[in-house]
Amino acid sequence: MNSFAERFSTTTAASQMRNAQKLADEDELDTAMWGSNAGFGSLAKGVPTFTVPAVADPTAFLRLHTDDHADPSCRIKIQHGTTTLAFRFQGGVIVAVDSRATAGSYVASGTVKKVIEINPYLLGTMAGGAADCQYWETYLGMHCRLHELRNRERISVSAASKYLSNLVYSYKGMGLSMGTMICGWDKTGPAVFYVDSDGTRLKGDLFSVGSGSTFAYGVLDQGYRWDLTDEEAQELGRRSIYAAGHRDAFSGNSCNLYHVKEDGWRFIGNYDIAKMHYDGPGNVAGSPGQGYGYDVRVEGRTSTNAPAVAAAA
Amino acid sequence: MPATISISQPQQRQFNPYSENGGTILAIAGADFSVIAGDTRQSEGYSIQTRYAPKVFQLTDKAVLAVNGFAADGNMFVKKVRQRLEWYRHAHAKDMPLRAIARLIQTMLYARRFFPFYVYNILGGIEEDGTGAVYSFDPVGSYEREACRAAGAAQSLVQPFLDNQIYFKNQTAAPGTSHPVHLPLSTVLSLVIDSFTSATERHIEVGDGLEMYVVLAKGSTAFQTLGGVRGIQELTATEDGEKVFIIRRELKKD
Amino acid sequence: METSFAITGKGYVIIAADTTAARSIVKMKVDEDKIKTLSPHLLMAYSGEPGDTVQFAEYVERNIRLYQIRNLYPLRPSAAASWIRRSLAESLRSRKPYSVNLLLGGYDTATHTPHLYWVDYLGTMTEVPFGAHGYGSYFALSLLDRYHDPEASMEQGLATLKRCIDEVSKRLVVSPGTYKVKVVDKDGVREVEL
Repeated sequence: MNSFAERFSTTTAASQMRNAQKLADEDELDTAMWGSNAGFGSLAKGVPTFTVPAVADPTAFLRLHTDDHADPSCRIKIQHGTTTLAFRFQGGVIVAVDSRATAGSYVASGTVKKVIEINPYLLGTMAGGAADCQYWETYLGMHCRLHELRNRERISVSAASKYLSNLVYSYKGMGLSMGTMICGWDKTGPAVFYVDSDGTRLKGDLFSVGSGSTFAYGVLDQGYRWDLTDEEAQELGRRSIYAAGHRDAFSGNSCNLYHVKEDGWRFIGNYDIAKMHYDGPGNVAGSPGQGYGYDVRVEGRTSTNAPAVAAAA
Repeated sequence: MPATISISQPQQRQFNPYSENGGTILAIAGADFSVIAGDTRQSEGYSIQTRYAPKVFQLTDKAVLAVNGFAADGNMFVKKVRQRLEWYRHAHAKDMPLRAIARLIQTMLYARRFFPFYVYNILGGIEEDGTGAVYSFDPVGSYEREACRAAGAAQSLVQPFLDNQIYFKNQTAAPGTSHPVHLPLSTVLSLVIDSFTSATERHIEVGDGLEMYVVLAKGSTAFQTLGGVRGIQELTATEDGEKVFIIRRELKKD
Repeated sequence: METSFAITGKGYVIIAADTTAARSIVKMKVDEDKIKTLSPHLLMAYSGEPGDTVQFAEYVERNIRLYQIRNLYPLRPSAAASWIRRSLAESLRSRKPYSVNLLLGGYDTATHTPHLYWVDYLGTMTEVPFGAHGYGSYFALSLLDRYHDPEASMEQGLATLKRCIDEVSKRLVVSPGTYKVKVVDKDGVREVEL
């Protein structure tokens, strides 16, 4: 009975394996080899495959040759140093990031896109290995689309983040480095999930990731409320990235700001951090109308407290 | 007796398939053209292995790839990219668009995430919409479209110069004027030559020869400026499309 | 992890330091005062290597007092700060240096101006409108960039300090429990409850 069901059903694990085997046998040449399927052609046969060095301990090999925070002299530099933040509030989700990439003390780029547009209603942020985040979040985007096609329904932020979390967890110990926030809006409303390469996945209202995160938290926590208006929330995101860019040497250059609402995400703008210091973010909603810089803000104010009589004399 | 001792002695072996071969590459995108350049010196440590080892390669009539880092990995990588592009031509009867080549390079680099190609890639060329484009990559495949990028030994010498001359960083336009968004081809070529002559003066791993590839969009007006360029050579393979040229210059050899 | 903050305001300096004395993973004491009163208008918060901290603080305390006894007037804040920094710098170049970080807050009665000096164990000194030592500084400095006001009243200043302490309690894994807060202004030195 069992074998009968297995033979003719199309959904059991055994039959799926059988079908996959049949597909694999039919065409010996992998279609992915023909440069189609956007290079993700291997997807049809499961997860992509990776070349691994023929040594006893491939992870140790990778660690030896790629740059770790502890050893800046290594040849293959992997991008480090970042500030990213995302928070949930009454009006949706705010996502703000800096744009600096450093290799040791050299500023490798000041125009990095650290917000990855997974699809029109999902955003991912980038901290840690730039390639790891870019590649796996793009890959996640493809699977979100497949979910839509299979289920005639958009994937929830929770499910998408869990997909990514399980995926990177399967590579645990292999040297992936990513700290990301998956942000979006689904049936449950605005949602933010923190996912990292250790396999941690946390649901929450407010996260900041990267070397400048403590500085961002300092401003963010103190200004955060659930009932922030859209303008206030955007200003808080911008101001927090400015704070991190100002205090953390590995963060800076400019701030990219996104706002996720019920109808998907919207890019709000790119703000130069040096410009925010002296002139503020410009003519935008929520702007204080002056520079964020401490010395700009307190110009002309003094702690000297001369008594009235002394001042008169 | 000593033989037995040497056998019992612990042996340490290290698998190190990487080296660093110096040199610098550079690419700048214009409105309807793209310039991709690299020096031709190949060295290891303080020894010059050869004075002519190209680092810039024509992929199609609209795409040129510059590779820098470990030369053996770089050459192998270019070979593999070209193979994939040929397969694409056979399957689709056309050249792969530039943005698709960029994504292809990402996936090819990332496939070696756990055994990386020690190569910094810069891809230059013309997009499907006719604009000049530059894509830069890290060794494991993170990439971004930019207007200009220098990589390799002298990147920290060349990039600040480019930031100043191309993005006009830290420059203020004269009152009533503004900085141009795109520079003309003649200006770009001068900047590239100046970048490499200067890098040759101050970096020991840069010199010998300079190869500049120029990719022009279909009907690009920059074509006129190329007429007067000394020693220019056309490499275009297909008709009625983008055009590719190479310009070679000598650099100091000490 | 030890944390200390200090901020200036209109005619005053507030200094706060946590009150835990830890050894290894154990809290040995939870009400240790790590802010010394060096003279009628001078406060010093100290942190760093256990043992060195109190030794150095007492050495400074006695020398500042000696100056006052000999000259019948105390050192002004900038002069005291210079002397203390020099002591640390000389110690650093000795066989056994003191590993002590300091926040020096004083009120200059001659110019009616509060002064705050941030000093580390290497002898680096800088005059600042606000300062912090320890892991808490990673959270507090950006916050103070945003909220500090040189003309803040005492109430406003204490409110800003409260923000720093709350933020560190909220985010720092090994956050200290309690703080001692002292103020120096024209009336001298006093302790305040937050």
